[in-house]
Amino acid sequence: MDRLSALLGLPYTDTVVVAGALVLGISAGVLGSFAVLRGRSLVGDAIAHSTLPGVCVAFLVTGTKEVAGLLAGAAVAGLVAALLMIAVERSVLRADTAIGVVLSGFFSLGIVLLTHITATGDAQQAGLEAFLFGQAAGLLERDVAVMGAIGLAGLVGVAVLRRALAATLFDRAHAAALGLSTRLVEAAVTAFLVAAVVIGVRLVGAILMVAMLAVPTVVARQLADRFGRVLILAGAVGAVVGVTGALLATRAQLPTGPVIVLVGVVVALLAVLLAPDRGVLARRARRARRAREIALGRALGDPAAASAGARRRLVRAGFLTEDGTLTPAGAAAQEDRAERVALAMAWLHYGPQIRLRDAREPDLRDVRRSLEPDALTELKHLAGLS
Amino acid sequence: MTADDLVIVLVAGLTATACGLLGPFLVLRRMALLSDAVSHAVLPGIVAVWLIGETRAPVPVVAGAAAFAVLCVLGIEAIRATGLVATDAAIALVFPALFSLGVLGITRYASDIHLDLDSTIYGEIAFTPFDTVTVAGVELARSGVVLGVVAVLNVVFVVALWKELRATTFDPAFGRVTGMRPRLLSRLLLVAVAVTAVSAFEAVGAILVVTMLIVPAATAALVTRRMGAMVAVTLVVGWLGAILGHVTALTFDASIAGAMGLVCTACFVIALVGRRFVGAGARRRARELDDPPVGAGGHLVGE
Repeated sequence: MDRLSALLGLPYTDTVVVAGALVLGISAGVLGSFAVLRGRSLVGDAIAHSTLPGVCVAFLVTGTKEVAGLLAGAAVAGLVAALLMIAVERSVLRADTAIGVVLSGFFSLGIVLLTHITATGDAQQAGLEAFLFGQAAGLLERDVAVMGAIGLAGLVGVAVLRRALAATLFDRAHAAALGLSTRLVEAAVTAFLVAAVVIGVRLVGAILMVAMLAVPTVVARQLADRFGRVLILAGAVGAVVGVTGALLATRAQLPTGPVIVLVGVVVALLAVLLAPDRGVLARRARRARRAREIALGRALGDPAAASAGARRRLVRAGFLTEDGTLTPAGAAAQEDRAERVALAMAWLHYGPQIRLRDAREPDLRDVRRSLEPDALTELKHLAGLS
Repeated sequence: MTADDLVIVLVAGLTATACGLLGPFLVLRRMALLSDAVSHAVLPGIVAVWLIGETRAPVPVVAGAAAFAVLCVLGIEAIRATGLVATDAAIALVFPALFSLGVLGITRYASDIHLDLDSTIYGEIAFTPFDTVTVAGVELARSGVVLGVVAVLNVVFVVALWKELRATTFDPAFGRVTGMRPRLLSRLLLVAVAVTAVSAFEAVGAILVVTMLIVPAATAALVTRRMGAMVAVTLVVGWLGAILGHVTALTFDASIAGAMGLVCTACFVIALVGRRFVGAGARRRARELDDPPVGAGGHLVGE
């Protein structure tokens, strides 16, 4: 840690916070992705709030603010809450109601315990509620070590179970048919989530933890389609967001948790907008390009009847001369388009009569490229095009 | 029970009434967690009002908070509408961001004043009897008046739009076909939730508002399947929470809001466990009417 401190040129305490943010980012990113991909992002919110009564009970039992004891209390309470949510979901209620009820109940219990502890006037209790809002400033090297150990255990668990996890996540019936115990896998996913929350509550607090779980997966999902890649990317995004936020916060002397979360949400929004394939802007551009292609093709079909704007685009594409006659390239393109249109119409007409080796429908924009040669010949023959 | 205790119970009961009228619709429409999101998202509004106007007077604070509540709901809707992010993930992005802004505002500019997180998160229902206004010569608890007005508004809202709200909750497509405008109703409901939540936070604290919006309604959803009965059960559970919660808090010398929430949760647990024993036979019979098992219905076997 001392060497890291020298490397980053940061004071020792700040280095500890940055290291903690790194650990949190990676573990929350990877372990949170299961909840987010299952549409249970806010389970983390309920687990995070549920740690409060656990912390209070741990304090009442041990009588000290020993970090390991409080974390253990938080973990047990989080696990109980998570299992209760699964149980409530089995009734007529939906996931979101289950989450809301468990969140409210545990948090109410936590407040009652907290005020009870305060009322008994134990001088030791001061700062217990900091657990809720996080307290990066008081982070010790040993805390980071504990966080790292929990996170590592979770990551190893994910690595070992990844096939079972993916199967259960995407197709429960399939997983059950394979002989997997989906309940056991679900419990494992829950345990991972609790581990991530317990790591994060210390640093960013319960309320902001929910964003730490959701942001990396939202970003990773924008960039990748495969489950394994999403997991790895989520870990990487979490790490980058955590470290960037922590560095910014120490530089600007602001509380760590909120800065990390704001950095993360900005990154997530940028990913939603700008992602190369799935981004809002990319999709809009793709749609506009397709619309232009269609309009250009239509104008090419009958240049004389096209609007002035469409004719200008045809000229720019090199299909039309200024005086309105087709260039050789234009004539070829026109012929090509006519054939594509004719084949598409022919497919709509005679397609059902043609026996295909598989059941894939051809792409009507260009049947020639997506139909097998035999079938194409047959289609042309049927339509009298050959 | 002293007069102050009575005021506290009444204020909590009014909160339960205002929230309980909307809660069943939220739970049935799967929007329960929006109340939690809104409860955190209003923080920057409260902070901004303090920074700009240097005031904690209720009207501007409620206006500032309401602005951010609406911003939160619209933000979630906008992200969801891209079709790239699921609703729950959209909620998980928007409200922590707004809450973070609020925390930053407090620590950066307002740490020296009395605008601590405790007062917005925990609220302090215990102080409601000491903050009074005089209405027509009678001294009343201010938050009691505010929540009374909100409760009456919610009664008017729910009663006037009862048929429409009920129909679009269960079948938005039917509502649209019959000209009921489900999207508008959904927005109105959200605005009502935001206004209720914001005016109640100040008096009783966010967690009690969230609890009162979700837990009694969830309890009622376990007990009955009729909309009218659901609202009635919700109100009963809410008032039970208010009364018994206050007694519990006094007994254990603990947070009043927390104890009220715990009593509501206890009602939920009783309903959840009770369902296993009571009415299981009736539900099975109801299912069999819909979907007669082979061999059980006469005509499938005998005929």
